[in-house]
Amino acid sequence: MIILTPKRVFKFPIEGKNITPDIFAKKSLKKIIDLEVWEGNRKRSLGELFDIKNESSPSEEFTIKIEGDVSKVRNIGFRMSMGQIIVDGDAGMHLGEEMSGGAITVSGNAGSWAGSQMKEGTIEIKGNAGDYIGAAYRGSTKGMNGGKVIIHGNAGHEVGCFMRNGLIKILGNVGIFAGIHMNNGTIFVQGTSQGRAGAQMINGKIILAGHSEDVMPTFTIDEIKAKVKVDGEKIEGPFYRFTGDLADKGKGKLFVSKPKNQYLSSYEKYLE
Amino acid sequence: MKVIPAVTCPVCGTFCDDIEIVLDNNNQIIEARNACAMGAAKFLNYSTHRTKTPLIRKNGELVETTIDEAIEKAAKILVDANYPLLYGWSNTSCEANRVGVELAEEVGGVIDNTSTVCHGPSILGVQAAGISSATLGQMRHRADLIIYWASNPWDAHPRHPERYTMFSDGRFQKSSWTNYLSKLRGEMSKKKIQRASNLVLKKDFCFAPCQEEGLPYSMYTKKRRTIVVDVRKTRTADAADCFLQVEPGKDYELLQALRVLVNDGELDVDEVAGIPVETLEDLTDVMIGCKLGILFFGLGLTMTKGKHRNIDAAISLTRDLNNRTKFLIMPMRGHYNVTGADIVSAWSTGYPFAVDLSNGYPRYNPGETSAVDILCRDEADAVFVIASDPVAHFPRAASKNIAKHPLIAIDPEVTPTTMLADVILPPTFVGIETEGTAYRMDHVPLPLKKVVEPPEGFLSDKEILQRILQKVRELRKRDMN
Amino acid sequence: MTELIVKNGFVYDPLNRINGEKMDISIRDGKIVESVKDKADVVDASGMVVMPGGVDIHSHIAGGEVDTARLLRPEDHVKDVEVKTALTRSGVGYSIPSTFTTGYRYSRMGYTAAMNPSMAPLQARHTHEELSDTPMIDKAAYPLLGDWWFSLEHIRDGLIEENAAHIAWMLKATRGYAIKIVNPGGLEAWGFGRNVHSLDDPVPNFGITPREIIRGLCKVNTLLNLPHTIHLHTNNLGQPGNYVTALESMKCVEDLAREDRPVLHITHIQFCAFKGEDWGNLSSGAEEISNYVNNHSHVTLDMGQVVFSDTTTMTADGPFQYGLYHLTGNKWVNHDVETETSGGIVPFRYKRSSAVHATQWSIALEIALLIKDPWKILMTTDHPNGGPFTSYPKIMAWLISRGAREKVLKKINKRARKKSLLPSIDRELSLYELAIVTRAGQAKALGLKQKGHLGVGADADIAVYNINPERDDPAKKFVTARNAFTSAAYTIKSGQIVVKDGEIVKPVFGKTYWVDVKTSMPQDINDDIKRKFREYWTVEYENYPIREGFLHAPAPITVKAEV
Repeated sequence: MIILTPKRVFKFPIEGKNITPDIFAKKSLKKIIDLEVWEGNRKRSLGELFDIKNESSPSEEFTIKIEGDVSKVRNIGFRMSMGQIIVDGDAGMHLGEEMSGGAITVSGNAGSWAGSQMKEGTIEIKGNAGDYIGAAYRGSTKGMNGGKVIIHGNAGHEVGCFMRNGLIKILGNVGIFAGIHMNNGTIFVQGTSQGRAGAQMINGKIILAGHSEDVMPTFTIDEIKAKVKVDGEKIEGPFYRFTGDLADKGKGKLFVSKPKNQYLSSYEKYLE
Repeated sequence: MKVIPAVTCPVCGTFCDDIEIVLDNNNQIIEARNACAMGAAKFLNYSTHRTKTPLIRKNGELVETTIDEAIEKAAKILVDANYPLLYGWSNTSCEANRVGVELAEEVGGVIDNTSTVCHGPSILGVQAAGISSATLGQMRHRADLIIYWASNPWDAHPRHPERYTMFSDGRFQKSSWTNYLSKLRGEMSKKKIQRASNLVLKKDFCFAPCQEEGLPYSMYTKKRRTIVVDVRKTRTADAADCFLQVEPGKDYELLQALRVLVNDGELDVDEVAGIPVETLEDLTDVMIGCKLGILFFGLGLTMTKGKHRNIDAAISLTRDLNNRTKFLIMPMRGHYNVTGADIVSAWSTGYPFAVDLSNGYPRYNPGETSAVDILCRDEADAVFVIASDPVAHFPRAASKNIAKHPLIAIDPEVTPTTMLADVILPPTFVGIETEGTAYRMDHVPLPLKKVVEPPEGFLSDKEILQRILQKVRELRKRDMN
Repeated sequence: MTELIVKNGFVYDPLNRINGEKMDISIRDGKIVESVKDKADVVDASGMVVMPGGVDIHSHIAGGEVDTARLLRPEDHVKDVEVKTALTRSGVGYSIPSTFTTGYRYSRMGYTAAMNPSMAPLQARHTHEELSDTPMIDKAAYPLLGDWWFSLEHIRDGLIEENAAHIAWMLKATRGYAIKIVNPGGLEAWGFGRNVHSLDDPVPNFGITPREIIRGLCKVNTLLNLPHTIHLHTNNLGQPGNYVTALESMKCVEDLAREDRPVLHITHIQFCAFKGEDWGNLSSGAEEISNYVNNHSHVTLDMGQVVFSDTTTMTADGPFQYGLYHLTGNKWVNHDVETETSGGIVPFRYKRSSAVHATQWSIALEIALLIKDPWKILMTTDHPNGGPFTSYPKIMAWLISRGAREKVLKKINKRARKKSLLPSIDRELSLYELAIVTRAGQAKALGLKQKGHLGVGADADIAVYNINPERDDPAKKFVTARNAFTSAAYTIKSGQIVVKDGEIVKPVFGKTYWVDVKTSMPQDINDDIKRKFREYWTVEYENYPIREGFLHAPAPITVKAEV
């Protein structure tokens, strides 16, 4: 297990694309210390920014442990395909971007774009996360295509933007546009949603188990479901099930908690 | 006295190029014919409060200095910085912008322009959905339906309607405005005579002004129709044929709902954004029934809830309309060369704004590499501002952090930004004292003219940037040896 | 006086009929000369191929539609970056590179000139600004004139000479090089969302047909003595069955041919060579097109080769681009230009597994190999429509090696493979012929007399490629050939070594060519255009033409017109 401890408080953006098990695993400690990392516009080595030590790990998996505040460090776990990263603190933007395997756990918060374009693997964030979880890069339609992101706290806006597969589970609240442009996959929100969930979605499943500010007028009501299955678990409802986004000829399914959203009872007149 | 014709106006994105500047015998501008109030104000008053010399902050006070000293100080600030932000760019020429990108690349900084707080979301919308657009002449020639959505040209782009839309004449689309005006003038004089005769003969006579010809959405006349969609009734709405008041923060829902209707779908709801669905169905019929429609939109969409997704939806709506008729959409760009700033940035770096060059190659991710966000996170350790006033316009959390670090300002006037600056270099006024190129809101490039000589000793934006770039290169060479 | 000598290479200079002869090329002050003194700098080209620098007759690299495409597709750039070096600017690449990257990448392949084929006249300044920021190569741009209201009205009224004089004005106003025609009549129809569907389909509101536009502008071109012919993107581009339109377009100017000189250039012929009624039974019209071209000498073509990758389509053909949006569902940009033209952009991915795309891949190669005279068919991808120009080395390998083609054939869609003519075509272009299709023929078609050859007086634009034709048969060692063409051993531009082993060693900027046509009554034309200006455009007459001093390195070519 390699342990990284920040040597000081970081003020400038740190490009941490080299902090992944794939890159560390084949290298000696000396080589890891020499790995390139950018601090603002200055090229540095990992060892200049972090104290790095090698300890035995309880796990079979190649492990990187980061102890301290790395909220300025971006792209931790970039394209990793194996092993695990444990962040004991806050992590920066683009956590686990394009990862295709392995696991990342963060005890604190994570920035925006966590799990962006990921293909496989797991990211678990105990605190809050930013916007664009599992999203596509700007201009692209290829968001997250597999894997799992679990956020225990709240997440921001446009969670799962252009998502194509996989699961995003948010135990806290989300902002607006959860699942925007979704192509497939599942988003589950236990807390509240600030609204416009599923906007412009083509397919996929969004479950809002808490209060939602609104439901897009371009969604049509299907039926009331007693329970919904998410990640092998049965979530108790009842839920209103909507289909949409009709403006995009979408067949996505939006489940909205009935008891937490009494204002939606006006839709019941459309059900036989 | 001298009259200089075909001068382009360096104020707003309408970028009128038919201004006639009148100079007196001392070569001072005394009149700006055809200009709107904003243009006239700039041409007539540009020099009244300009900063006369470069300034440097010493012991907390701004003191006069030489150009060389100011440039040396500016260059040093940039070279020392670990993550400098170079911001502004929209109120100067493309020629200056080109040097700006080179400078940002040389110092490994972030270059961002005013799109970031204006039509940046429109760019994000285009990157998601494309855009069906044209040059403004296409609207003048062909549009029989004009929609101003969340945009109030009466205040922000005063000559837009008369040059390109409601009050203009085109090859295939005449405006009834000119007819209306002459009819009105005819009636006014009739009215005068009538009133006089009333007063004399005490007869009651009522003249109704131009009545509506038939139903509001008639397809039988060749009249250009204008619809305004806004949260409040603006003066543009007064001049329009139809005004739709939308509930604030609900434009996105409205646009998506219209898309369903355009595609012959049905909605489960009775009203959207405070407008009954029947009215929306009428609006849909009007949009489908036109020969060529154009939707202009402004900050009411880019800077309200949903931001770039409002634009995404608006663009998608006009794209869907192209299945039925010809429909175009255009953002009402604010500054006269913000379009040019985007264009220069895109051709030099691949990206239109919020370009991070700190790692030696261009990276783009608004929210991460955009000026306001960088400042709110207090990541920039030096700020270079040109042709813009961020301290006046940015959120307080961002401006507060501008104040914390060395600030260089290239601005001819005193502004809240220059008042916080450590180095001020006043340039000439592009488009009045210096030539250049700028791009109208529809991407048409036009020349910026020089109509008067700048005062002695003033350099243009481009020259200042070139000198700073040269100094930066000298300092870096020195550092490496 | 800077002198350079390229010694001992195998020289391929088709315009001077030199076919692999071992000889020295002498350079002084940027031009090729008979000989130089002993103390000249030496480039040792022993065991290597020496050719004139590459010339690209049709590549979308600068201007309004290209830049909007850059803005549209950040996702295209993020996968391909150029880091700043001491000598070079940073940038991004892939299908729509930033301008500095464009210049460097052409130069690394030994190219020294590229022509931007689509310039909306109203936005000509934009094209030239970007070309000014495109280093390493000489360039030119073709203004779009086929749907210009003045053209449509003049031709409709039979006023060919009038039109010629106006076009001379336009070429100067826009600093243009050639008359570009795209989907004649279709772009004006697209102003109201319509299109034209055959050469005899009248243009709405104007009552003129595409046939008349092509013939009219062909006559104009002859009257103006322009160095290039009219450059045509045919009607019905990309439609199954459109090879008929391509043939008709070539036939319709047969009688205007003069002394066996070409009077028409059809660009990216692959997109106009489709047989079949619909996408389901698309097949190749290469045989019919090639037969015609083999029997006529008034036409030149360029390939428009497709490469299997993600790319971006961009043309002035607004209705065609809209059609592509419907086909793909991808984001769509449209940009109509008042009084003049239109344009559209749609991202596109060509897949080996698609029967249609694989057939398209085959078509351009079939045409290139079935047309016997290589001077008639030039190599392009219509960058980036068929693929990025950085794929040229790959295409060069396909042209010179059957083995290279077979490798690809094995992996493409089975149906397309069965229909493809390539398995029955043994022909492999020689290096001599390759030099024609990638430089000599391109320069000749363009009428650029000092380019594309290594004779005395030519510009010293030279490419040296690390492939030894004595030792290696390029047909067999096509990978070596491809690598050689990817990273030139040397690129010499205007007599200076600018690239060595595929790296930029000296950043330079080239010139912008344009045609300065001298007519007899230019003032009358000025007055006519001025009078109508405000009716036609939304800008002032004074602000339209590009002024002296705007281009950073203009190179006007003066011609005297017959009007």
